[in-house]
Amino acid sequence: MNVNCDDRDRIFLDGSPEEWAALEQHANTCAACAEELRAWKQLSAAANELRDYQESPALWALIETSLRQQQAAPPPRKSFWSSLDFWRHISPAWQSAMVGALAVALAVSSGYLYTRRPVSPGDPGNKLLKTSALAEVERTERDYMSAIDKLAADASPQLKADTPLMAGYREKLLVLDSAIADLRAQTGGNPSNAHLRYQLLAMYQEKQQTLQDVLETKR
Amino acid sequence: MGSVGLTLPWEHKLSSVARDGERRVEPFEGKAEPVRIGEELPQDAAVAAACLSGNLQGYERLYQWQGTRMKNLARNLLGSQADAEDAVQETFLKIQRSISGFRGQSSFVTWTFRILVNTCHDLRRSRVRRKDQVNEDVDALPPRMELRAPGAHPSLRMALERALGRLTAHQRDVFLLFEVEGFRHAEIAGMLEISETASKNTLFQAKKNLRTMLEPPRSSATGGAQ
Repeated sequence: MNVNCDDRDRIFLDGSPEEWAALEQHANTCAACAEELRAWKQLSAAANELRDYQESPALWALIETSLRQQQAAPPPRKSFWSSLDFWRHISPAWQSAMVGALAVALAVSSGYLYTRRPVSPGDPGNKLLKTSALAEVERTERDYMSAIDKLAADASPQLKADTPLMAGYREKLLVLDSAIADLRAQTGGNPSNAHLRYQLLAMYQEKQQTLQDVLETKR
Repeated sequence: MGSVGLTLPWEHKLSSVARDGERRVEPFEGKAEPVRIGEELPQDAAVAAACLSGNLQGYERLYQWQGTRMKNLARNLLGSQADAEDAVQETFLKIQRSISGFRGQSSFVTWTFRILVNTCHDLRRSRVRRKDQVNEDVDALPPRMELRAPGAHPSLRMALERALGRLTAHQRDVFLLFEVEGFRHAEIAGMLEISETASKNTLFQAKKNLRTMLEPPRSSATGGAQ
């Protein structure tokens, strides 16, 4: 194999053993290459000066102690992001396939939910009652309360009976009245909140049902 | 520093058998030779398995096998014996914490040294911050070498340490791993997460720069090595 001065850097960079041998042969007749080759080799030899493989027996004792302490300590909780570490071990093709499948599943479920969404003229999704609707709710609520008061008056004699059953009804009605009072106080501060109104309605319905049960017992 | 470095009449010899086509200068006779990883694969696997099992004897075997080499690399990267020992200790703790993530995609020693190199860089950054030596590129700062036991050529070693401090961190890493610790380019590529070609190119640039730093300017008769 013949090499010349132009091959020198390439051989220094990544020469095969044959090319190195050829360069050394060439250096026998080329002073410039001989000097470069000498300097290049001597740099490697100089690196040996940085090699100091002295033992440190005390170091292992320190390492062993800290390893034991770490082993005895409870393992740190896995973070949310590290729990997704499995993703890195999946091939890109499978990652693409899974992302595609997820997108399809999301699209299908979104479409399903959209077509099956509850439709009502009053738009129950709107949690804030408009002024006209609010007035209607309050009027109806007053009528409803009045009707329930009449029902309570009818049930009053029966409720006064000194039986365990009636004592239970009285207690339940007390709890319901207390809850109704709380909710009314809250709706007073926020009359347009439909959610509170629905809760209040549920309480009234429960009171109505309880009073009807008391009257049924009388019959 | 001029001619302090490469004009000294030291001994050297070329390896009789180049490994994988790589040419390197063998160490001085009588000095510890770097461990040949390629010839130690069964040991590598055995130590990895012992560490994976959680047995501390596995870590002790790793220390006995690679400890001095790890400490030497850390010493050359950090410039101080105390920092080097801290780095080696921290590396062992990191190995223990993350051993379950070792998949055997590289040799265990390659994986270990990757952790060591990263730990040394982290340690250097934290030490520099602690000393309020704020610098945008901490890796570019040369390690501050402390005195150590004199070798065969202390003036040469000091000149080389100073010159290494003027290389980029990347060039310094590759030079130390290849020329001092005796790793192959394939192993260095695994440790530094670069290609094998990039490792070869970096070593070439590092040696060209070192040669420029350690030798006085020469006449044009030396040709085109620069």
